Amino acid sequence: MQQLLNGIFIGSIYALFAIGFTLVFGILDRLNLAHPAVFAASAFVGIELVERGGLSLWAALPLVFVFGGVLGLVIERLAFRPLKNRPDAHFAGLISSIALAGMLIALLQWRYGPDTRRFPPGSFPDTRYDVAGAQVTLVQVVILAISLALMVGLTYMVTRTRLGRGMRAVAENPTAARVLGVNVDRITAATFAISSALGAVAGVLFAINVNTAQLGMGSAIELKGLAVIIVGGMGSLPGALIGGLLLGLAEVFAVQYVGSSWRDVIAFGLLFVILLLRPQGLLGARKVREV
Amino acid sequence: MLLQYATPLTFIALGAIFAYSFYAVLIAGQLSLGQAGFAALGAFSGASLAPSGDDVGEVPALLIAIAIGMAVGALAAVVLGLPTMHLRGVFLAIATLGFAEAVRIVLLNQSWTGGAQGLAVPRVLTVGMAWTALAVVAYWFWRMARSRYGRALEAIREDELAARAMGIDVGRHRLTAFVTAGAVAGLYGVLFAYYVRLIAPGDFDFVAAVEGLVTAVVGGSTMFLGPLLGSGFQTMIPEIQRAVGIEAGWIRPFLASFLLLVVILFLPGGLASLLPRRRIRMPASPGRPAVGDPGTRPTDRRHPDPGETVAALTGLGKEYGGVHAVRDVDLELRSGEVVGLIGPNGAGKTTLVNMISGLVPPSSGSATVLGTTVGRTPVHKMAAAGVSRTFQHSKLFNRLSALDNVLVGAHLVSRPTFLRRLLWLPSARRDEQAALERAAGCLERVGLAELAGTRASALSYGDQRRLEIARALASDPSLLILDEPAAGMNHVEASGLSTLITSLAEDGLTILFIEHNVGMVLQTCTRVVVLNFGQVIASGSPQEIAADPVVIEAYLGTSDDEADPGSIAEGTAADPTAGSAGGTSAGAATNVHPSAAGTLPPPDTTPRNAT
Repeated sequence: MQQLLNGIFIGSIYALFAIGFTLVFGILDRLNLAHPAVFAASAFVGIELVERGGLSLWAALPLVFVFGGVLGLVIERLAFRPLKNRPDAHFAGLISSIALAGMLIALLQWRYGPDTRRFPPGSFPDTRYDVAGAQVTLVQVVILAISLALMVGLTYMVTRTRLGRGMRAVAENPTAARVLGVNVDRITAATFAISSALGAVAGVLFAINVNTAQLGMGSAIELKGLAVIIVGGMGSLPGALIGGLLLGLAEVFAVQYVGSSWRDVIAFGLLFVILLLRPQGLLGARKVREV
Repeated sequence: MLLQYATPLTFIALGAIFAYSFYAVLIAGQLSLGQAGFAALGAFSGASLAPSGDDVGEVPALLIAIAIGMAVGALAAVVLGLPTMHLRGVFLAIATLGFAEAVRIVLLNQSWTGGAQGLAVPRVLTVGMAWTALAVVAYWFWRMARSRYGRALEAIREDELAARAMGIDVGRHRLTAFVTAGAVAGLYGVLFAYYVRLIAPGDFDFVAAVEGLVTAVVGGSTMFLGPLLGSGFQTMIPEIQRAVGIEAGWIRPFLASFLLLVVILFLPGGLASLLPRRRIRMPASPGRPAVGDPGTRPTDRRHPDPGETVAALTGLGKEYGGVHAVRDVDLELRSGEVVGLIGPNGAGKTTLVNMISGLVPPSSGSATVLGTTVGRTPVHKMAAAGVSRTFQHSKLFNRLSALDNVLVGAHLVSRPTFLRRLLWLPSARRDEQAALERAAGCLERVGLAELAGTRASALSYGDQRRLEIARALASDPSLLILDEPAAGMNHVEASGLSTLITSLAEDGLTILFIEHNVGMVLQTCTRVVVLNFGQVIASGSPQEIAADPVVIEAYLGTSDDEADPGSIAEGTAADPTAGSAGGTSAGAATNVHPSAAGTLPPPDTTPRNAT
């Protein structure tokens, strides 16, 4: 039971991270490899806000959300927009976002040094609950609640609002969307902003969960994020949620029953099998190629 | 002097070799991140299986390790490649990445690899050896570039479907590219192991794979020197920074990343695009026999004799989820015929030719084209049987020159030259020259000789359509299928095209073409077939078709259902080319209904199953 809950908590963070990833991929068909750097940067910024700014943990979250959004705009402007008309935009966008991620991490190193950082002692409430014999902290419950709320909010936005309609139009056919008066550049920028804001919140929540932030935390979760969006189906939001939870559970149980050193083999084994059997993922729709 | 720079020079060579393993697949348009896994497998198996240097001498030990490492890398690529070659783009990248990570973790948990502590390996590799190995790899890719094999890979990168239609076995080419990448990565792994003294599975992780990819892309993934330039760039930046005294820990990675961003944003072709590129020139023309002369036929493949059956369709049908795009079509094409296929939008014309050329399997009925049964035969085999085609929406190899496009078209009629080019055999040169002559002849035939060096994407629309025809001609087909060749041409160009088609037919080619320019069809064809709602509604000589009341009704509607909001009514208003097209053939206008000239059907913009 304890394992199940732990798996769900960590899985919800994976899902939140992966949803940002898959949002950009699903709508713009670009893989943004600066996303993990946003994840790491926001964890550091979150800690700084609590430590220096004296904010409470929960007051820092909205600020980090905004910070992530701004970072997303910067990424779009610098790494993706200049490439949008190139025939190899796919490769080039990968590389330019890797470059931008490298710059971001270097800046973090400049500001915070290479060491691991933690939240100041006493930032967490130590309320605990017993759920069916398992220990659950208030922090974990809040993490889960925030992740789910953000994901539900995002789904609502994509399916119901004007912005979401624009996004879906751009995903379907950017040229047609432009002809019909959709401001494709603005939609693109908004997509990046929302994606990065979600990644940023995921970063802080992750840092809260394990109470550490490291420069390498982004690359550690990057592979998992990729696995999640493949398993769930590229571009599928509910798929990313399910994939994230699956991965969290698989990891926790793998550590329990197989041994911690084999944890990642299970994740990638799962990924591989899914790619071979169902390349479009659990909930992805296969795009039909035109002749 | 040289000793001082030995370390960075060795790392440049090693980095370049690793980047070549990415280049090997990037050139075919595949994004793979599995090379780190191949390198790890090659390094560990090479280093632990090769005899020790004390027994056989250090250099032979290294050579044996290299042989083992490359073989293991190539084998791993086959094992990974067979199930994953159908994946594309990011999916392939992530699947191969998953493989590399799994390899890393498995190696980490084995005792013979030393686990996380790593495996100690003697240092044998010197700068000279590293650069020798690099030279061999670079030579390989240099000689590949202008071979038939290298061109086929580039064609696959630019447009896989068109490459298939030109007779290229895409699956096999993609797999061989992948295996090459595996072998080169294995080579890198072994060389790396014999240089750094201690290897651990962590040396071949995701970060290493991304670095290899970045190196290849920064250098330029379309020119053989690219990986070398990229590796020099990536290795020298930290060295230069150290030399000028930049010490703070964060500035170095920041500047390196910044320069990477600058290169990728402002040099689309990578660093290699700074180098001047030698373009192949058109061979001089005088005395070249015209393409199509029976004497210059480059293949042994027999062309059907005039009047012989080229294609026989019986009860052919295609259904898309309940919609019958083509229904029960019986059709026979005889050698030397020029058959025009006309019909309103969504009549199933493109679906029909897609079935004939092997792109789409029929859902009912059967068809034999040039002795090959349509359905289970892959597209490239249909092309090998002598079917060549153009596409409704141009599918050219956009970043290749016009001449290179046609050279790819000659894939089937030229001989493989890569291995002979490695050995500089004169026969390879002769074969390349012959292919070039043929390609040049085809370009001349469609009137594009002056534009041979122009990139396909830079050509005007009409020229692109003609280039497609030249490319299709280059394979010396028996049956040529043209899907709306005159779309977007003005009437002068269209009548030029009509002349070309007639002259090709005189050379013995069988031609099937879809066209909305009815005037041109009636003028050019020996026989016209009219499709409507997936069925043949009329077939006969141009005169018969022009006078056929069923055809007139299909095109114009009867006076009774003029109120019916069909595609014809919309088309009349929407088709701006109708007027000029009708004007090219006064005969058509008088033969058909008086108002026909103004009511030619609009270009086929609806999906083919929208009947």
